[in-house]
Amino acid sequence: MFSLAAVAIVVAVLAPLVSVAGLGLLVLLNDRHPSERVAARVLGAGLAASLAASLAVLAGHMGLLGPRVAGEVEFANWLRIGDFVIPTVFLVDGISVTISLFAAILTALVARFSVTYLHKEPGFVRFFILLGVFATGTQLVALAGALELFFAGWEMIGISSAFFIGYFHERDEPVRSAVRAFATYRFSDAGLLIATVTTFELLGSARFSAFSGVAALPAAEATILALLFLLSAMGKSAQLPFSGWLPRAMEGPTPSSALFYGAVSIHAGLFLLLRVWPVLEVSWFARGVGIVVGVSTAFYAAAVVRVHTDAKGALAHATLAQVGLILAEICLGWTTLALTHLVCHAFLRLGQYLKAPNTIHDSHRLGHAHAPHVGVLERWSPHLAARLYAASLHRLRLDDRIDAAFSPVLVLARAIDRLDRRIRSVLTLDGPMS
Amino acid sequence: MTDIESAQSAPWETLAVCLLLLISPALISHRRPALWQLVALTLALVVTLFASDGVTAYVAVAFGACLHAITVFRSSRTGAVALILSAALAMGVAVATSQGSMLVAFLLSCLSIAIRAGVMPFHLGVASICDRLPVVQTQQLSSTIALVFVHLRFVDHHAEAIALAPMLVRYGAVATLAAALMTLVQRDLRGLYRGTTAMHGGMLLAAIGAASLDNFAAALLVAVAMGLALGGLGIMITSLEERVGTVRFEGPGGRAAALPKLATAFALFGGAGVGLPGTAGFVADDLLLHTLWMESPSSTVMVILSSALLAVATLIAFSRIFLGRTTPSLAPDLYPRERVIVVLLVSLLVLLGIAPGVLLGPADAFLSYPPLG
Repeated sequence: MFSLAAVAIVVAVLAPLVSVAGLGLLVLLNDRHPSERVAARVLGAGLAASLAASLAVLAGHMGLLGPRVAGEVEFANWLRIGDFVIPTVFLVDGISVTISLFAAILTALVARFSVTYLHKEPGFVRFFILLGVFATGTQLVALAGALELFFAGWEMIGISSAFFIGYFHERDEPVRSAVRAFATYRFSDAGLLIATVTTFELLGSARFSAFSGVAALPAAEATILALLFLLSAMGKSAQLPFSGWLPRAMEGPTPSSALFYGAVSIHAGLFLLLRVWPVLEVSWFARGVGIVVGVSTAFYAAAVVRVHTDAKGALAHATLAQVGLILAEICLGWTTLALTHLVCHAFLRLGQYLKAPNTIHDSHRLGHAHAPHVGVLERWSPHLAARLYAASLHRLRLDDRIDAAFSPVLVLARAIDRLDRRIRSVLTLDGPMS
Repeated sequence: MTDIESAQSAPWETLAVCLLLLISPALISHRRPALWQLVALTLALVVTLFASDGVTAYVAVAFGACLHAITVFRSSRTGAVALILSAALAMGVAVATSQGSMLVAFLLSCLSIAIRAGVMPFHLGVASICDRLPVVQTQQLSSTIALVFVHLRFVDHHAEAIALAPMLVRYGAVATLAAALMTLVQRDLRGLYRGTTAMHGGMLLAAIGAASLDNFAAALLVAVAMGLALGGLGIMITSLEERVGTVRFEGPGGRAAALPKLATAFALFGGAGVGLPGTAGFVADDLLLHTLWMESPSSTVMVILSSALLAVATLIAFSRIFLGRTTPSLAPDLYPRERVIVVLLVSLLVLLGIAPGVLLGPADAFLSYPPLG
């Protein structure tokens, strides 16, 4: 028999997914799209169940529903072939219940807000389906007890994020931005996947509990593992040099921007680092890299936010600056401070993002307040201030630099394609295609 | 049910997947194969999967390949020749097996799989079929899964297979990466399908290499996931092109508004092909990476990068076909019979993604021991 906490975990994770499956079947099998009311109610029920279940998990962890639940909660194996096992295991501890509840509350709030905000938008049903995928992904990430489950949730967040960015798909720019964000995600996901397989091979299991044995690993192996996790976190949390996708991600609707890039998704990389902290702890080199990256990102974002002229873009960089600081806090070992900072920051930003359209409206109605201000840097070195201003305006040309770094891959790809076409044209027995 | 009894269900489950892939295209495409061909292909599949000896199984594989060759001959002679070549190789395996030359049998069988799965550079035939008849490629995949099944059962249990495993894994990984790179720069939908097929073919070959090290079920799952995802994609490509003609990426996209269900189905099959969580592709990729790591960590990294590249290529293709300024269209969205096929294929992908043990448990017990005698 499963305990109440175990049932609650399953409901927290699966309730939004069941709603998505129901809505998906309605869309696929019917000639007419479900109405806004049906979509909002079906998904709303799933999110409400998930939120109630998250509360139950918290209550179970606090011992309010009987014996206190803490540690791993096991279900039947996802897969077992001989000695190889992918466990269906969840982890109940202070970090997981905090993140699970915080994600469930924010997602439910955004869903409610979106019912009004997106009323009569053509993609209303699509928005709610994607929101359900995202909710399942975040609950999986929050409660997973092994890297395989964590990775499944991580991927769901990435995929829903890309589709949210491309939500207004009739315009070219959101679509291009979605592809760029997705490419960055997939690159960092590759790091996490390599880390997952490496963890399994080095520690004999990809459970988070297996990280207790990481101290016994040779320093080089532990450092490589830590760097792989750091790489994944940097991509997901838009840390330098992967920051270019974040302002582009603002092309999505405001509620999804608030949820993803103000509150939950942008912090997912930091949560990963909190989860694999034992690996980071034994690698001073990886922690040093993390501190440098975090602080650099904070400086970069703080510089860019001062020259940004649109509200959501400015908010994105303000978020990025704080995320950089939280990364540095984690790498300095201040994990409790980092978790507190993360949760408070997420709530603050969610409110700011959701208020952004009103702020813009008020600003148009009331006019802009111009307050001429000469900063310290301008007084000290006007030339340096001007250079910094220019660099901030074009965001250090991060995207151009990444494109340039990737261009040899495209050159190689075109060469392979040319060779392939040539060989096929010589050896084919067919005439030209009709 | 005992292990031995449950293991006996393995060919049945594989047969169910193969039959779905064989029959689905016939239900939706205007170019339906003759009934006698479908019946003969079904019989070939049954004999292949339930044969108790390698000779019978490979003769049935050869017969099936010849039937596919007849179907594609008019449109793709290159494809037909490749399939005949594959049939000849399968007959060679049958002869080698009967004479106990397991090294020859193993090499010929791998070559036959490489041709059928479209592993670069043996992909000329499959590339031609993908270009000209994507829907037939879906049917062809059903007997490719069966070929992988008999390979794992009859010729992959020998010392020669273990000795050649490292080479196959590395070769498969390089072929995977090359195909993934090629996919990134395609300019039309069929090019994407060709490249995706070649990429999955490379993964399958690597999985077959790793299978020799007692990872038989992993290789079968890779084959099944590949079959379902690529099969579904092939059906969607055919459905789309029957409505709007040849699709080039430079042309106008914006078809999502007119064909939302087709766009959704395309995204689901494309996602399953790159390891979308909750689908068989996710578990297959994860299992494959773990098995590859035992043999070659560098090959594992290559396969992971290939998967990432293919995912980006798939999203780019999806965005250029379906997203962008809306193109007015009178073409109907998916017909009910097409939707039923999509739901069946997606359900199978999800079932194997959430409960892979349904197939893998019996298959592992069945394939891990060579048949007596």
